[in-house]
Amino acid sequence: MSTQIKSRQAGRGKPGGRPGSVNRGKPGSAGRARVAILAGVGYLVAFIFIAPYLEMALTALKPDRELTASPTTFLPKHWDFTNFVDVWKAAPIWQNMQVSLIVAGVATLIALLVALPAAYYTARNRFRGRGAFLLLVLVTQMFAPTALVIGIYREMVALNLTDTLLALILVNAAFNLPFCVWILHGYFSSIPKELEEAAYLDGAGKVTALTRVTLPLSLPGLVTAVIYTFIGAWNEYVVALTITSSPNRQPLTVAIPGFVTSYQAHWQYLFATSLIAIVPVVILFVCIERYLVGGLTAGGVK
Amino acid sequence: MHNTIEARGAGAKAPAPSSKSALRRFGRALAPLPWIGPAVILIVAVVLWPVFEMVRTSILRISSSGATIGTRGTGNYRDLFDETDLVAVLLRTVVWVVGVVLVTVVISLALGQLLNARFPGRRVVRWAVIVPWAASVLMTALTWKWMLNYYYGVVNKVLQGVGLIDHPVNWLSNPTQALIWMMWVAVFVSLPFTSFVILAGLQTIPEDVYEAARVDGAGRARTYFQITLPLLRPSLLVAAIINVINVFNSFPIIYAMTGGGPGSKTDTSTTFMYKLAFTGSGDVGESAAMAVVNFALILILVLLYLRAVGWRGETKS
Amino acid sequence: MKRHLIGVIAAGLTVTLGLAGCSKGSSSGGGGDSKTIRFVAAIYDDKTKSLWDSLIKTFEAQNKGYKVNLEMVDWTQMDAKVKTYVQTKQTPDILNYNAFADFARDGLLFPTSDVLSSQSSGDILPSFVDGDKYKGTQYGMPLLSSVRLFFYNKDVFKKAGIDAPPKTWDDVKADAQKIKDKDKGIFPLGLPLGAEESQAEFFMWAMNNGGGYVDPSGNWAIDSQANVDTVNYLKDLTKSGLTQPNPETTDRKDVFNEFAQGKVGMLNGAVFMPAGFINKVNAKLPYGIAPLPTKTGAAPSTLGVQDFLVAFKNDGGKKKDAVSKFLNFFYQTNNVANFQKEEGFLPVTKSAGAVISSAVPYDKPFVDALPSAKFYPTGNAAWGPLANTVKEKIGTAITAKDPKSVLSELQQTAQKNG
Repeated sequence: MSTQIKSRQAGRGKPGGRPGSVNRGKPGSAGRARVAILAGVGYLVAFIFIAPYLEMALTALKPDRELTASPTTFLPKHWDFTNFVDVWKAAPIWQNMQVSLIVAGVATLIALLVALPAAYYTARNRFRGRGAFLLLVLVTQMFAPTALVIGIYREMVALNLTDTLLALILVNAAFNLPFCVWILHGYFSSIPKELEEAAYLDGAGKVTALTRVTLPLSLPGLVTAVIYTFIGAWNEYVVALTITSSPNRQPLTVAIPGFVTSYQAHWQYLFATSLIAIVPVVILFVCIERYLVGGLTAGGVK
Repeated sequence: MHNTIEARGAGAKAPAPSSKSALRRFGRALAPLPWIGPAVILIVAVVLWPVFEMVRTSILRISSSGATIGTRGTGNYRDLFDETDLVAVLLRTVVWVVGVVLVTVVISLALGQLLNARFPGRRVVRWAVIVPWAASVLMTALTWKWMLNYYYGVVNKVLQGVGLIDHPVNWLSNPTQALIWMMWVAVFVSLPFTSFVILAGLQTIPEDVYEAARVDGAGRARTYFQITLPLLRPSLLVAAIINVINVFNSFPIIYAMTGGGPGSKTDTSTTFMYKLAFTGSGDVGESAAMAVVNFALILILVLLYLRAVGWRGETKS
Repeated sequence: MKRHLIGVIAAGLTVTLGLAGCSKGSSSGGGGDSKTIRFVAAIYDDKTKSLWDSLIKTFEAQNKGYKVNLEMVDWTQMDAKVKTYVQTKQTPDILNYNAFADFARDGLLFPTSDVLSSQSSGDILPSFVDGDKYKGTQYGMPLLSSVRLFFYNKDVFKKAGIDAPPKTWDDVKADAQKIKDKDKGIFPLGLPLGAEESQAEFFMWAMNNGGGYVDPSGNWAIDSQANVDTVNYLKDLTKSGLTQPNPETTDRKDVFNEFAQGKVGMLNGAVFMPAGFINKVNAKLPYGIAPLPTKTGAAPSTLGVQDFLVAFKNDGGKKKDAVSKFLNFFYQTNNVANFQKEEGFLPVTKSAGAVISSAVPYDKPFVDALPSAKFYPTGNAAWGPLANTVKEKIGTAITAKDPKSVLSELQQTAQKNG
């Protein structure tokens, strides 16, 4: 919890002046060579991380015939942009996308709304059962829906919630909740009480102090919690695979593999759909990347 | 876990209406409820109930069409331990978890340094590293499956092009090779989160520590191993434990790439559990028994983790 | 920036909630009303969905107020899906599948006599009816059937100096060797023992060695000597490099596709291969069709497969009337005949047979092979679970040191399930 407020400013503005920066050599030819090597390695790493998705895009742009031609080619001979249009027509992709978004979005919202007060209260107050509550959070952080899928689906059968979005939302919210509580708890603990006390003097209540003073300061922690939960729900596969059956209530992860079947392998559609799904999330990540490091700093120390 | 219930009931003894202090105590004990109640309810209803349901299911006799016929006692566990593949699956799970997490952490240490270094275009590199995290694991796994395809895969083409292999290899058919590739994919999707946790850890190390080391004349390597690494310990611990949990429960990669096949030769205990219930002969009871065994393994990990973070000292008032 | 970001997050969540607001509420099964049924059908090819769609459209136009919600599932996902539906009590009202006896055993199905008129059920070809029964009562209704025959590439054979398709297993091996010697780029024999359809591939080889899943008296006999010999023979072919690499993980669609590309010399093919695979790639592919080769050259058997429609008793059977209406509509001669003709499968009813066999000359050898066809033991409640286990494990028998151990394990699975 020994976060430094300073480090949360990391990544704002110009790069440089970063504590712990590796590049401590004096500027000079040696330093320049070092930077060149670093940059070279950096770009190579970037390429390795992007490569599979480039292949995804290239496959998505190949016509059916070229997919199963051997030898295979790196680039499509004919760039076939119609795949993207076909996918939209061929399958209820838009609906699956909606399901994925709703499940991930609402689960994130619920997890945050439930985690915020709990994290805040435990960070600011000592009370009976606080240790027990934090232990519960810490332990359940270790549980994943995958390991409990048998129990989850038996429960959903008992509650008559199979094949509902509500079931997916609840599962994703509950299983990501511990991480949210933990990261926010760490963040709130690192924010000096005095700031809130100043607000109390101005006649603010607990809730006002929280929303006006503490929350804005804990933005990186919030962003990290949002991202972690959203991605967790967005990626969730096993529970969705098990408890949804109607095509229009399945998230993308469950719907997409349906393009590769026993009688046909439409890899180009599969990847076209994947791209449509991935691009918005990547853009979201890129936008908040600077907050991510700060957010993980608080959580990371804990 | 039951102490939470206690905690919520704490002080809920019938208050003596005559005594004001008792009432106030009662009120104080209830004060946290609006703040932490919802979280407790959600966790109990959606996380702990399935645990109970899973254990209960593991002692039931359930037919292949899902009808509960009666109780079986330990029969499901006996069936499970009679499975010829079980030992191999458990050993493979250990190799899978340890291998993937170790390689991920080691590569992430290097990546963290790289992302923390200053060079033109660093932002772009950071963004690139994030991509596999933002992309769905399942879709990434499917992409790799396609690239490793024996007939049309790009991996064979590249490796033949650079002369590493002289004829195409059917990577995902040989259980050992398939496992190695799948471990690589698991590492690939775990790297972004881990690198960023380590990057965040690196940024908390104050500059003056390095100043002091420079004054002492410590070289680069010594500085790294004597100062940077020890200070990264908390971040490493968090990264390692979250990865262990994620990798242990990693289902989509194996399910999408080989389906655990041929047979169960590339299953880990997670996919094996799923297949027991939903493919093959469809024995939910036995699958629940496998889930309980899995769960026991996770609990052991949790206890180790609690010891590592020194739970006792953390939340004691 | 901070305020801006909070705004972005808030806006994002609002949009999500808005989406949630206009997304449809959930319901389980086919909806609450007794005139709406949920029909889960398997995908046979690109056309399947549109065929059902048009049938359903006609049905709904003829029966005002009735609705059929169609759900298409691919065969590779079918087993897991059906398992999940049954276990999670989300069974459809009508299911198109390849096994039913365990559902019948657990009392989940309507007997055919409850949902199909005697006129329609009397029209089913007698050779199929046995496989539709569980303990003497009919529950399954055949949707379509297929017979397997041996396909070979005439060009490849001619180049390798082979003038007739193989009749015995020794011929298969010798011909495969000739093909391999002539052209390394050709896989002599396509052998798909991957999880998709290996229970069929194994059965075709085993039955022509006097083996199979059950002995003549109907008891499980998976670990019989004949079956062990069969696996050993296939293992030997694989080891000698006479098949495509890794039969244990090769799915049927992979070798069918390679055959269509002209890269496979011979294989056990299905009636739908030209429509589903060959014509898309190379309609001029010079292929020949022959009976399956047998161990000794004795009279060949072939594999007959029927896929079923079954009706689940959901919600105490309140949808019986709607289910029955739809089934009787489907089994009208023209509907069923058109469906089977378009899909390139064989007819299952007498009246459809009369319509189709005159129309499609290609089907003749397959129809002629039907009397010698052997079927899966679909009337046995253990068949469903067993078939799924065979799919997963039979491929490992050809890589195992001791094939018999794999077969014994399958035998145990069969006996455990009844």
